Amino acid sequence: MRTIDVINRAGRSLKQAKVRTLLTSLAIAVGSFTLTLALAAGEGSRQYADKIISSNIDPQALMIVKDKSLFGEGGSMSGGLREYSANSSEYNGLTFKALSASDVKRIEEDKDIKKVTPTFLVSARFVTFEQKENKKYTTDITAFDTSVRPEVIAGSLPANGKQINDDEVVVPESFLDTLEIKDKQKFVGSGVILHLERPSKELSKEQVQEIMITKGIPGLEEASKPISMDVKLRVRAVSKKSVTSLSASNALFISENTARDLSDFMTKGTSQYQSYISVMALVKPGVDPATVKHRLEKHGMIVKTAKDLQGLLFTIVNLIQGIVIGFGVLALIASVFGIINTQYISVLERTQQIGLMKALGMRGRDVARLFRYEAAWIGFLGGVIGALLAWGVGTLLNPWITETIGLGEGNYILVFQFIPAVVLIISLMIVGIIAGYYPARKAAKLDPIEALRTE
Amino acid sequence: MIEVKNISKVYGKKSNKFQALTDVSFSIPKGASVAIVGKSGSGKSTLMHVMSGLDRPDSGLIIIDKQNILELKNKAVDLFRAQEIGFIFQSFFVQANESVADNVSLPLEIAQVDRAKREQKINTALKSVDLFDKIKNKAKDLSGGQKQRLAIARAIVNEPGIVFADEPTGNLDSATGDKIEDLLFELNKKNKVTLIIVTHDSDLAKKCDMRIHIRDGRVTKIDKTGDGK
Ligand SMILES: Nc1ncnc2c1ncn2[C@@H]1O[C@H](COP(=O)(O)OP(=O)(O)OP(=O)(O)O)[C@@H](O)[C@H]1O
Ligand SMILES: [Mg+2]
Repeated sequence: MRTIDVINRAGRSLKQAKVRTLLTSLAIAVGSFTLTLALAAGEGSRQYADKIISSNIDPQALMIVKDKSLFGEGGSMSGGLREYSANSSEYNGLTFKALSASDVKRIEEDKDIKKVTPTFLVSARFVTFEQKENKKYTTDITAFDTSVRPEVIAGSLPANGKQINDDEVVVPESFLDTLEIKDKQKFVGSGVILHLERPSKELSKEQVQEIMITKGIPGLEEASKPISMDVKLRVRAVSKKSVTSLSASNALFISENTARDLSDFMTKGTSQYQSYISVMALVKPGVDPATVKHRLEKHGMIVKTAKDLQGLLFTIVNLIQGIVIGFGVLALIASVFGIINTQYISVLERTQQIGLMKALGMRGRDVARLFRYEAAWIGFLGGVIGALLAWGVGTLLNPWITETIGLGEGNYILVFQFIPAVVLIISLMIVGIIAGYYPARKAAKLDPIEALRTE
Repeated sequence: MIEVKNISKVYGKKSNKFQALTDVSFSIPKGASVAIVGKSGSGKSTLMHVMSGLDRPDSGLIIIDKQNILELKNKAVDLFRAQEIGFIFQSFFVQANESVADNVSLPLEIAQVDRAKREQKINTALKSVDLFDKIKNKAKDLSGGQKQRLAIARAIVNEPGIVFADEPTGNLDSATGDKIEDLLFELNKKNKVTLIIVTHDSDLAKKCDMRIHIRDGRVTKIDKTGDGK
């Protein structure tokens, strides 16, 4: 019998048992629904992560650190016994191995490196705004990244690749709410003061005696007071809220030079002076960042390329997706028994038909094919129903999800793709065929005379 | 020409053994109409199954057009049945949920007849049993006599050389049965089909060229009428 004829007959016999066919394929549809959503969520998350990374990190960038735990590999972030290193830096009460000035120099001297920017840790005790006198605020402060150009709602930013001036600061839009500032145009150009403090040096006994003798008690008070510095900047621009840009939304941007000065001021006289937890380096265009990465890693640095970071994010996405897929597969396994059961009953019900077909000269192989194709049809139907349902539900839910978890307009967490859906449906047809194997074999082996005797 | 030589068939094993056919021999000329007659349980159906290659005897030969079909492989026997033999059963065995056309199409699909040629063959077969106007109907909507006519159309659609009919009128009232009989003999005459009818209806048997009487699995008498050999 020709394949097309077998397929047609298979389709017709399913049509004759509509309810049963539908119910059996609904079991598969549950699996298909789950798998389609899992695939869509995975794809959506990957695209979203991709977007975040590409709008935050130059593809030629290298993140360089000394401490493995910063990338979540080996060793925990806190606690535990760790080897002391003179070259370590403290951040938020945690100690990390840091890159020393000579490490930074080594990176700078690499022939394929275009530019090196250490991550300056600037923390101001408080910040005051000219337009909001008598109020003190705290905020994160970071160096302005010349490779990322956020949109602005007031003021202007220099051309791509150019730094802002050393006395300038870029303020994120979200701060305006806290500051209760209505007129953002007037805000541009107004003053911002960063107040920095660093603890005084610990005084030795001899130093204390000396100060006591020369300056008395007030002198000693003066000497043990924290050293402070005020940096006056003016607002250059207000950056627009952006969901894909990580830093733009919650930190003040200052120029790289200012950041370096402030960082140096904060760490002066400590072991952390001019040592950095992380350094960002830009690889010259046309050079594969991975080759530079391998070179630097030989010197005990831990280097991640933009691709690596993407991989890091993807690992998490893939893991979660894997779990959901697992549930989908479980649903499918359950539905396999549904198909076996349905097809088995179908064979019993149709012994007479099978007997007739065999009596008319139909080969056992073709009879088996007939039943296998029926099972494949069930798989196809279930796959299509589930995928369409998932697509419909997903499309309806997407705007709501985006709003609820604040992904930002135009970003959807469920991204449905055509090819994976087709692959899924084909796989489900194969699952159907596998499930139909045993009933089909039973049909093929039926003795036609025996079958024709049943009335 | 069908030659049946020394056929024996035993069902079951050991204590359950049952000798359904014992040393059955006869020959049927091409284009003849033959009745296999005998009481219930005498082995008529068994003989028909063996002759058509549906079942295998324990010993003997079935030579159809000089070919011993018992020597053929399963695949070749299936092909032989698909191309050379038509079946009509007492209880019709039409596929109730399929359309009349799809029922008739089945033997053509099995014999891998080209799609283009099928429609014409189906139409011819349905016209010859006067069912063409029901071509689109579901088989279950037909009356008993129409169902049997449908079965006949299915049996002859691929123009087989031999048609086996096992009690073709057994489930029909006598008036309808007569029509079916006329149809079968008309086929036999017009298309030169060898017609082998299993029956215990002596009136039907009398209309045939030849009668093979069976009792307890043995041929007791073969008689011929008319100018048949
Ligand atoms: N598979 C089988 N196993 C055992 N015995 C069988 C089997 N098939 C048929 N028989 C026996 O063989 C004998 C012949 O059966 P067969 O069906 O050929 O009779 P028949 O002449 O066609 O009868 P009827 O007119 O009632 O159809 C019967 O006694 C039957 O019980
Ligand atoms: Mg019988």
